[in-house]
Amino acid sequence: MKFDLVLKGIFSAMFLASIMRISTPLILPALGGLITELAGAINIALEGIMLTSAFTGVVVSAFTQNIWLGVLAGIATGVLFSAILAYFHLYLETDIILAGIALNIMATGGTIFLLYILTGDKGNSSTLASGMVPVVEIPFIKDIPFLGTILSGHNIFVYAAIVLTFLTYIMLYNTKFGIHLRAVGENPTAATSLGIPVRSIKFIAILLSGFLASLGGLNLSMAYLSLFQREMTAGRGFIALAAVYLGGRRPWGTFLAAILFGAADALSNQFGTLDIPSQWVQMIPYVITILALVIYALRRKAQITEQTKRFQERELTKVNNNNHT
Amino acid sequence: MRKFFSNPAVREGLRVLIAVSSALLLGFIVTLFVSEDPLGAYKAFLLGPVSKFNRFGDWIEESITLIFVGLSVAIAFKANLFSMGTEGQLLLGALVSGAIALFVPLPAILRIPLAIIAAMVAGFIWGWIPGYLKAYLDANEIVSTLMLNAIALKLYDYFLIFHIKPPDAGYNASDFFPKEGTLMSFIPNLPFLKGVYTLFSDKTNITIMLYILIIAVIAAYYLIYRTPFGYKLRMIGANIKFARYGGINTKRTIILVFAISGIFGGLAGAHLSMGIHGKLIANISIGMGFEGIVVAILAQNNPLLIPITGLAYGYLRAGANVMERASDMSREMVFVIQALIILFVTAERFLPTIQKRIEIRKENNTHMEKLTPSDGGSHEV
Amino acid sequence: MAPLVDMRSVVKVYPNGVIANNGVNFQIEKGEIHAIVGENGAGKTTLMKILYGLEQPTSGEIFIKGEKVEFKNPLDAMHEGVGMVHQNFMQVPSFTVAENIVLGHEPTERLFLDKKKSVEVTEELSKRYGLYVESDAVTETINVGMRQRIEILKILYLGAEILILDEPTAVLTPQEIKDLFKAVRVLVEQGKTIIFITHKLREVKEISDRVTVMRNGKIMGTMLTSEATRKGLARMMVGREVFLDIHKNAMKRGKNMTAIRDLSFVSDTGRPMLRDVSFNLYAGEILGIAGVEGNGQTELVEVLTGLRIPAAGRATIGEKVVTGKTPREVRMAGVAHIPEDRLTNGLAVDASIDDNLIVDRFFEPPIRKGLLIDYEEIEKNGEDMIKEFGILTPNGQLPVSSLSGGNMQKVVVARELSSSPKILIAAQPTRGIDVGATEFIREQLVKKRTDGAAVLLVSADLAEVMDLSDRIITMFEGEITGVFPDASTVEEEELGYYMLGVKRQSKKEMEALL
Repeated sequence: MKFDLVLKGIFSAMFLASIMRISTPLILPALGGLITELAGAINIALEGIMLTSAFTGVVVSAFTQNIWLGVLAGIATGVLFSAILAYFHLYLETDIILAGIALNIMATGGTIFLLYILTGDKGNSSTLASGMVPVVEIPFIKDIPFLGTILSGHNIFVYAAIVLTFLTYIMLYNTKFGIHLRAVGENPTAATSLGIPVRSIKFIAILLSGFLASLGGLNLSMAYLSLFQREMTAGRGFIALAAVYLGGRRPWGTFLAAILFGAADALSNQFGTLDIPSQWVQMIPYVITILALVIYALRRKAQITEQTKRFQERELTKVNNNNHT
Repeated sequence: MRKFFSNPAVREGLRVLIAVSSALLLGFIVTLFVSEDPLGAYKAFLLGPVSKFNRFGDWIEESITLIFVGLSVAIAFKANLFSMGTEGQLLLGALVSGAIALFVPLPAILRIPLAIIAAMVAGFIWGWIPGYLKAYLDANEIVSTLMLNAIALKLYDYFLIFHIKPPDAGYNASDFFPKEGTLMSFIPNLPFLKGVYTLFSDKTNITIMLYILIIAVIAAYYLIYRTPFGYKLRMIGANIKFARYGGINTKRTIILVFAISGIFGGLAGAHLSMGIHGKLIANISIGMGFEGIVVAILAQNNPLLIPITGLAYGYLRAGANVMERASDMSREMVFVIQALIILFVTAERFLPTIQKRIEIRKENNTHMEKLTPSDGGSHEV
Repeated sequence: MAPLVDMRSVVKVYPNGVIANNGVNFQIEKGEIHAIVGENGAGKTTLMKILYGLEQPTSGEIFIKGEKVEFKNPLDAMHEGVGMVHQNFMQVPSFTVAENIVLGHEPTERLFLDKKKSVEVTEELSKRYGLYVESDAVTETINVGMRQRIEILKILYLGAEILILDEPTAVLTPQEIKDLFKAVRVLVEQGKTIIFITHKLREVKEISDRVTVMRNGKIMGTMLTSEATRKGLARMMVGREVFLDIHKNAMKRGKNMTAIRDLSFVSDTGRPMLRDVSFNLYAGEILGIAGVEGNGQTELVEVLTGLRIPAAGRATIGEKVVTGKTPREVRMAGVAHIPEDRLTNGLAVDASIDDNLIVDRFFEPPIRKGLLIDYEEIEKNGEDMIKEFGILTPNGQLPVSSLSGGNMQKVVVARELSSSPKILIAAQPTRGIDVGATEFIREQLVKKRTDGAAVLLVSADLAEVMDLSDRIITMFEGEITGVFPDASTVEEEELGYYMLGVKRQSKKEMEALL
């Protein structure tokens, strides 16, 4: 029966491996979003940066016939884009949300515009002979049944995503820069009072997010697919932000949240074969994020009322005792 | 002369003008490099919408949607609430109005108002949700509205694909709305208007939504500036602590602001489905919600200025469409210009007066932020 | 021996004309605990801000260890060993104690944070100076006493030799105060020098070696604490040089407007800010609350105006209970409120003057007309207020931000007084504004009282309280310490004793008069 087949499919190694691949372009920008969120300068333009990098990677790799130049160009573009965001926000005092929205619009339009100029096609870059990044087979591991399929044979970005999550964790909690960054985001006055350069740190945080988002974009056009399609990011830059909140604003939490979104996406494809509308499954992570927001807020409120009540009671018993003596 | 330039409204207007001109100039420079006939292309861009009647119609129709969205955004932004939710409200408004137009067996005179009202209600509800979350749980409204947008899109797709689309359709779209569910032209079909009527209804698709838009603009203006509710909205936007101290029930007002903003979003959706497309299609809106943010900001969230910025923005869009058809430039260039306009206009330090520049330099040279407690004339000496 | 710190002829004039320090000569000896006392506005915080590098003197010089120094910012001062422990802590709530202490100058091992070293350093400093902290505790979960110790350890970590403590006991419980003093003594044993700013004279006697009294921007005197008495200090702190010229008709006290009973309130950090405060407010009378800021007056006003809910007790106007209600309900019961912080609560600076004037009446006629608000009425209301209260502005549609401080306050006063309140609560009504506006506002308060309203005046300006009030209550540490039924017969020194907790009336004495 069909359902049977689907279940089997879900628990197959292939499927779990596909979750890794689908989640990678979510994990990478989400890490970028996390870094900027913790620094107090949330990057709404992750979507646009991903798109721009995806495009640049394809174009440069096609024209130079060199994959790595393409990747480099993609990264450079991503960082440049984020530098523009940082400059407008930190030096020209544009609201960071508005500047982010502007850059997203510029990226969507700009990439299609340039695509048309370079290929005469507004849909995709199939006419360009762009490259794909290599796939990595890990010796030994690749031969383990089941696990081997899941862990080996992915493109380099998948492994990069895992490594970078780890590095982000180290950076945030084990380096001077990371702790200064978190201080800047949480209490900029305190940071300033101790000589920590708030503006420089925010600038670097935004550049880092540009770097990470560019990897996510390159992953889309040079690994997941082998070409650039218009609007191919399909909102991943925003899902990345949701993953940051869903993950409790911590690196591994964000990683897992991004995988959750990716899994929902993969699942919904499976269900598609069952004539179960994929939309319901796809909705799940968004609903969960809202629920997470609600639960978090309720918990905070409960904590505060709890604390105040405790103090009031303590004082009242003291007052009562005084009255009785 | 100096007095003229020291008037803040004039300065602001000048800033917007310079920002827009700079962006257009940069766009032209790009065109010079890219196009084989840059002058022709840019001419088509700048003059296109008024060159032919149907293009003029396109311009007006696009602008109507943009103005609805702009109003929706402005209402929330004016209260300092960063609702990004218009996109979702718009989708649900399109969905319910389309569904009613297609399926509810009522004569046009009832069906159409019902569809429009349903769109308004859908938008109201979709705005109410993040409003409640913000007011009572202080939940970040940017995240909640973005999530609701995504959910709305899934709902739209689901209903379109699984319930509305005719089973034998090749791609994801509904049938065209029947006559009873189609909006008529804004020119009434009266004998003495025959000529005008044919002109507009043949060449353009400007419907009675135009009248609804005009009412909406006036209603938004009155709402914000002439009602007690609007006063509450503005004070919350100016200083929420002041609002509370003065007795305003901020929680209730915040929810209403989001919900009412949603009504206008729903109307934008109704216009998309019943006015522009005449059916429900996939990707009925790609980011219109965000473009509405630009319209609102350029108009400084003032409902009376939004028709102007909406028309201007719509003009750019329509011009880009003409340019694409008439030359080798693709219309997406307009997005780049739009982005530049946003960046230039919202950069607070772009084009400050000379005086301000000197002040800014002095400020940068002095030391750290003063660590005094908030200064209300604090007298801790 | 040359003094460790030598401040000579320090003058500080603020842009609004206030002379905070007027030719101050101040020396500190190495290894002493030196207290600086004075009322609000005396100039002590400004002087220390200058020493700490947060402000620059208009003129004057500073010498540390005999060398002239110029501090452009607190980091410069820290470099010379001067550190300040602020009242509002500069900490990151989610960090651990150790992380906050070393923040900005973390010990590192090659590229990475040396977390072990941070903890080691913290524990070492903690032990050496007897300042107990839990290195691994998360800062937002610990109590205020420990949070303050973090601030102290922070500057010790950076090498502070001279520690300036700004009202350190303001946020502490009695036990924590004991602990702090123990720690201060240890610090001195270890060679540190302590300056602390306070108005709590009991503590001055308990901990300091020398004490300096400041008043009105000048130093009134410096002496050995052993040779000073609390009475003497209070006398020096509180003398008045300016006699205000306010004409008041004899008070005609009307019926009892408001009964306030047993109000208690506890702050978010667990400190009791109000303890069993009870008094009556009568129509036709100005009741002044005299006291140094931070002794519960702010919380009292907030509780009475619906901005906070008391832990216990209630206030009633006639039969109606007004505590625990919304600000709207309190206003509807006839209470008007001039808030102590006009920029935060009293005004929306970006909104127009007209709009600011109607926040308490926009929902009723004549402003409200059916479903709409009537612009002509709003403008007319604005015009009338501008004229009646002498607000200096070409028209009412300009934003409040275009006004001077005094005129801004006039907007607040105009709005609150024109609502015909039965009860007017005015908190620091003339703070930070020019002489002209000050006089005007005081006259308005007196007028309201003569017209039959009950006025509660809370002010840190003793002269103001004494000249405007009919009856005076003194508050210290959240309690009423004294009541003086006839303000014209009491001397400021006497009031000073009660304000500073030196003297205290018994419950019985006060009962009939409250």
